[in-house]
Amino acid sequence: MSIVITLMLNGLANGMLIFLIAIGVSVIFGLMGIMNFAHGALFMWGAYAGVTTYLATGSFLLGIAASGIVSALWGLAMERLTLRQVYGNHLAQILVTMGALLVLTEAVKAIWGPNIITVGTPTVLRGGWEVGGVIFLRYKLLTIGIGLGIFAGLQFLLNRTRLGMMIRAGVENPEMVRALGIRIRLVFSLVFALGAAVAGISGMILAVGQGAFGPDIGLSNQLLAFIVVVVGGLGSVTGTLIGAVLVGVTTSFMAYFLPDLAMAVNVGLMALLLLVRPQGLFSN
Amino acid sequence: MVAAIDVFIMAAFAMSYDLLLGFTGIVSFGHALFFGLGAYLVAIVMKSSGASWLPFLAAVLLTVVLAVGLAGLIGVLSLRVRDVYFAMVTLAFGELFAIGVEKWRTVTGGSDGFNFRLPEFLIDKNHVYFLSLFFMLASLLILRRFVNSPVGRVLLAIRENEPRAQALGYNTLHYKQISILVSGTVASLAGVMWAVAHRFVSTELPSLNRTIDALLMTIIGGTGTLYGGIVGSLTMRVIHDVLSGFSSSHIIFNRWLLIFGLIYILIVLFFPAGIIGSAAKMIGRWKERHPQIS
Repeated sequence: MSIVITLMLNGLANGMLIFLIAIGVSVIFGLMGIMNFAHGALFMWGAYAGVTTYLATGSFLLGIAASGIVSALWGLAMERLTLRQVYGNHLAQILVTMGALLVLTEAVKAIWGPNIITVGTPTVLRGGWEVGGVIFLRYKLLTIGIGLGIFAGLQFLLNRTRLGMMIRAGVENPEMVRALGIRIRLVFSLVFALGAAVAGISGMILAVGQGAFGPDIGLSNQLLAFIVVVVGGLGSVTGTLIGAVLVGVTTSFMAYFLPDLAMAVNVGLMALLLLVRPQGLFSN
Repeated sequence: MVAAIDVFIMAAFAMSYDLLLGFTGIVSFGHALFFGLGAYLVAIVMKSSGASWLPFLAAVLLTVVLAVGLAGLIGVLSLRVRDVYFAMVTLAFGELFAIGVEKWRTVTGGSDGFNFRLPEFLIDKNHVYFLSLFFMLASLLILRRFVNSPVGRVLLAIRENEPRAQALGYNTLHYKQISILVSGTVASLAGVMWAVAHRFVSTELPSLNRTIDALLMTIIGGTGTLYGGIVGSLTMRVIHDVLSGFSSSHIIFNRWLLIFGLIYILIVLFFPAGIIGSAAKMIGRWKERHPQIS
């Protein structure tokens, strides 16, 4: 029984990380209708830039900050330089973001090399507690905390602030928002940078949590994010959270019992959803 | 000669990709699944049965059957919702297949791959050369015939304006499904040819990079032309070989995909017609200015 709870906790922590990657994909699609195939690369840049800063300065917090800033800058550059040219052209958007994935991934390989990078958890965050056979690891608890914190922050931003109102209105009808004198393009850029920053931070957290990572970290996690978005429903924040926890817990249990089939079960979950409820769990 | 064989086979693979991207207007990120399927099926059958013709032909037949089945499954799952789902679902299935090939070590040899034997006739490089040239030309003719058929015309209508094609009474889902089936079959046969030409398979074949190769070739050559696949395949090979030659002088040339990616983005943004399309446009403009010559 205690192993089940431990695995659930692990799954919850995984799920929170996947949520942080997927939320950018989901909100950007909801607002701009763009499926960002380069999101995994932004995530990966967060991991590399964050871990490099952390290893150089010894400060975990500086690493987190660096991961968010670097990914946000890349996201902003992507949106300004490429996506801006092809608004409204879905085919070109998919093609351009895939090109960005290729370029950003190859750039990482050119700078850091294709080899695995190892990194240790800061001493404060090592270890954990055991209560009645259930293991509470500090790092996992921190991950869950950051995930819930960012979820709450996003909910607040979207539902309680003026910017959030503009974003929600932009999702409904961007032309109308523009006609009311709001610079919707600027809002697009901000949302894109924000989604990228959150992805970058999750990249840093995941990389340090794993202790070792290589250039394939981007694509595999992007795939999980896509599965989550399909399961939860595109554009829905709550749907993304539920979908992420579902996928996270499934992955955690599969990794314990049948690790080779973890990805197969997730893709199967997505296929099942597409068959019975193609619009996702929380979308209308 | 090996380079020419690779160019022929990849050209056929790129043309099958163009059928989706250029003629139907949908993007697949899992096209290498079919390529890997064909290559691995032939390889596995030949390894376990020895070098004779009957199992080889049976493997080719099985490849076609499985490719059609898989294409059908992916189409059913992904085409009903949004166009972008097709790209996401093909990416997921493609990666799942690639992971499966790597993990199922007892059959596939994992990331090391494995060698296998072929009938005597298929080992001679001259035979393989003409066979792959024939395969490329046959793919070109069949695909050209297909896009000029009534079904192909409907596909063009879908690419241009799907709601209007629907309004005209066409079941666009059905037509897209046919396009995926044809494209997947040609791609899987290209995989068979690749396995024949190299007598070796590895996890690099069903990887996302292979799909990106087809994407780059199609875009660089020109989408919606079929010939673009051939031009793109040749161009990429030549540029790749030239850049590899520079790799000793500067490390950046080792990351030639980075350079290709940048060229690719520029083409998508500024020359969406690719080499063939842009050339055709330039010739058209020139003819307009000099009507007396033509």
